[in-house]
Amino acid sequence: MDPSLLLVGITNVLSWSNLLLILGGTLMGMFVGAMPGLSATMALALLLPITFSLDPASGLSMLASLYVGASYGGSIAAILLNTPGTPSAAATVLDGYPLSQQGKAGKALGISLFSSFCGGLMSGIALLVAAPLLGIIVLKFGPVELFAIAVLGITIIGSLSQGSVISGLLSGGLGLLVSTVGMDLITGTPRMTFGEINLFSGISFTVALIGLFSIPQALLLIEKAGLGEKKVASKVTDRIIPHWVDIKALMPNIGRSGAIGILTGLIPGTGGDTASWFAYNEAKRFAKDKSRFGKGDLAGLSAPETANNAVVGGALIPTIALGIPGSSSTAILLGALMVHGILPGPNLLTEHGDVTYTLIWAVILANFALLAVGLLFTRMCVGVTKVPDGFVATAIIILCVVGSFAINNSFFDVALMFGFGLFGYWMIKAGMAPAPMVVGLILGPVMETSYQQSMLIGGNNPMVFVNSPIALTLLLLALFSVLQATPLFGTLRKRLKKQSHQQAR
Amino acid sequence: MKYKLLPASLLAAVTVIPLSANAEYSVSDEIRVLQGFQAGGGSDALAQLVHPHLRESLGVNFINEYIPGATGAIAWTRLTHQSPKDGTVVSITNTPMLMTNYIINDAISYSIEELTPIANVVTDPGIIVVHPDSPYETVEDLFAAAEENPGRITIGNSGVGGDDYFSTIMVERATGLDFELVPFAGDGPSATAAMGGQIDASFNNVGIVYGHLQANSLRPLAVFTEERLPMLPDVPTLKEVGYDVINGSSRGYSAPAGIPDEARDQLIAAFEELANNEQFLQQAEDRAFYIDIVTGDDYMEMMQNMERTFGDIWAEVEDDV
Repeated sequence: MDPSLLLVGITNVLSWSNLLLILGGTLMGMFVGAMPGLSATMALALLLPITFSLDPASGLSMLASLYVGASYGGSIAAILLNTPGTPSAAATVLDGYPLSQQGKAGKALGISLFSSFCGGLMSGIALLVAAPLLGIIVLKFGPVELFAIAVLGITIIGSLSQGSVISGLLSGGLGLLVSTVGMDLITGTPRMTFGEINLFSGISFTVALIGLFSIPQALLLIEKAGLGEKKVASKVTDRIIPHWVDIKALMPNIGRSGAIGILTGLIPGTGGDTASWFAYNEAKRFAKDKSRFGKGDLAGLSAPETANNAVVGGALIPTIALGIPGSSSTAILLGALMVHGILPGPNLLTEHGDVTYTLIWAVILANFALLAVGLLFTRMCVGVTKVPDGFVATAIIILCVVGSFAINNSFFDVALMFGFGLFGYWMIKAGMAPAPMVVGLILGPVMETSYQQSMLIGGNNPMVFVNSPIALTLLLLALFSVLQATPLFGTLRKRLKKQSHQQAR
Repeated sequence: MKYKLLPASLLAAVTVIPLSANAEYSVSDEIRVLQGFQAGGGSDALAQLVHPHLRESLGVNFINEYIPGATGAIAWTRLTHQSPKDGTVVSITNTPMLMTNYIINDAISYSIEELTPIANVVTDPGIIVVHPDSPYETVEDLFAAAEENPGRITIGNSGVGGDDYFSTIMVERATGLDFELVPFAGDGPSATAAMGGQIDASFNNVGIVYGHLQANSLRPLAVFTEERLPMLPDVPTLKEVGYDVINGSSRGYSAPAGIPDEARDQLIAAFEELANNEQFLQQAEDRAFYIDIVTGDDYMEMMQNMERTFGDIWAEVEDDV
């Protein structure tokens, strides 16, 4: 690595026009991220055409700051509306919304903003320091290791099942089942598509997620509006700037979640959604008092928010070092590079080093911009919650339609989204959590294809999973995670069960 | 040049320019381009390269419409079955995927007979790459290893039905060898698996791996072209080694069947002009695009040849996968 490129990068970023683009990008990202169903990926896809006329360094700076902004923006809707603004904010809902119901929306937003800032900054620095080094590690993750990661991820389902473990597992199993729709990677045979060409590529989990999380929420809001009840939650009455005591208590949690985010981002194919559930799970595991989780625990809020912003830098590491996108959002960034005539790959750090280091510095600066813009803009978001339920519900449904259409420009996806929405509504009424289903949907294809590839590579001998030290470690971790979730501690389990019954919506 | 966002259609990027006075395209001042893949992908990169030049020569605005899904089949079904046949709608057609889609899946109902092929623009030639520390220094080494260990040499491809999948089978047929085919979800993951040493070799495309070849993170063994490539003068063709396998992944433009002859001729002329446009050729070279302009009836013949070749191969191997 040429140290002068570091300086060229920071000089590029510190030009007035670039700083403005970064501020604007962060603001726009936050706004789009705050809208339910509009993900960071969508925000990037939206802005991509605008950057065509900019020079590569400015265009990429703007896209990077948009990505950073959207990663935080998702939590605003999650906390105030109980609807994740982005898929990666789904875990934020669990403890963020209870906080706002307790009248601590400002505190929740402040902690979320600060956690996002810390996660983003950590990952930005990691990106700067480690891009050339970490590229080597990522290559060690082949199908065998990916399979092990997916298995570890599936064990998260156990700890996501609030209420009945059985219904949680059922929900997760449904997710895995739905994830098998589409063309089989190995044989090219369409499965469970019923000759419907729109199902050949499978069901986009973003479509399912928008439906499962947002539509039931809108319907519940309409129910409430029909009852003429007055709205209680989601007013930011307390101060947003977090107290030092809270921050100090959260620091170890932020450090751990940041590391989880960076590492998850590194692995191709996994993004903010996986990282935030992973970090939430670990925060719960490390917590002394697990009973507070799901009821407005600050650690439970901070963990996914730190992690989903830490993914930004993590996912950019393989993107920059290897030209392999670490997430769907970085895939769009990669597309932006190609549009500007820059071939992704290891030469991004040499031949196009100036552009690359501008991008890295932009990520770091965008986090400072986020802190500033977040403190100003988040207050404005209070307006969202003052709107009557009926309007909010309508707006959610409209955004769901726009969001699910925009992914593939397909009306079929809109219908699919509504299908999932009605199913999700039924699930909630039946006391079944939709979150495990989403985890199953995301990890199902990863697990299946990496298993099939591993078996082809390993000559149909399952020992291939034991022979890779990385995979073996991950699989042992998964086993431990499963054992830990079994009723080893009867009293604790009873207590958790009681608490989750109270929680059941 | 000014870019504007249409909120109603979130992903459609519309390029707005004042129309030049000498608009030459007789049918319309606007052409919709259906793209079967996500914005920012390879097809989109081609569109970004080609459209500014066509805009100048034809005097029309291009509107990109992204309809990803079923490896392009949704867009191509819409082009053939649901689009006006007046020259206002075209699509970026990726071969051989255009044909292998319906060769492999009966549920896909379009065929090339329902198209008016306008022009192929780029061809990304097939290439065999291995890990830089791989014991296989030459393509002969790789084939020798496959002969010693039938069915144990793992070859990555971009997925069943893709050009690399068929290249592997074409090589198997030409050499009489037996490989273990490992499909990945695209060219990128297949190349990465070779870089990580998880597979013995990846059958890939030059444009995808060129950056990795420059950085020595992959080693090229052979290309599937008639002649050696100017950008890789030291890499032999498979033909030199004695096996006549030519394959690659091509992208071009097609309209629905039955568009007015006048529109067809004007479109073809515009693409033929591109072949002599120095600025365009330079831009293509900068992006490592291998320009391969084949127009009109010749493009149709190219498609028909592919349809025959891949149809035959599939009929043979269908029961094995």
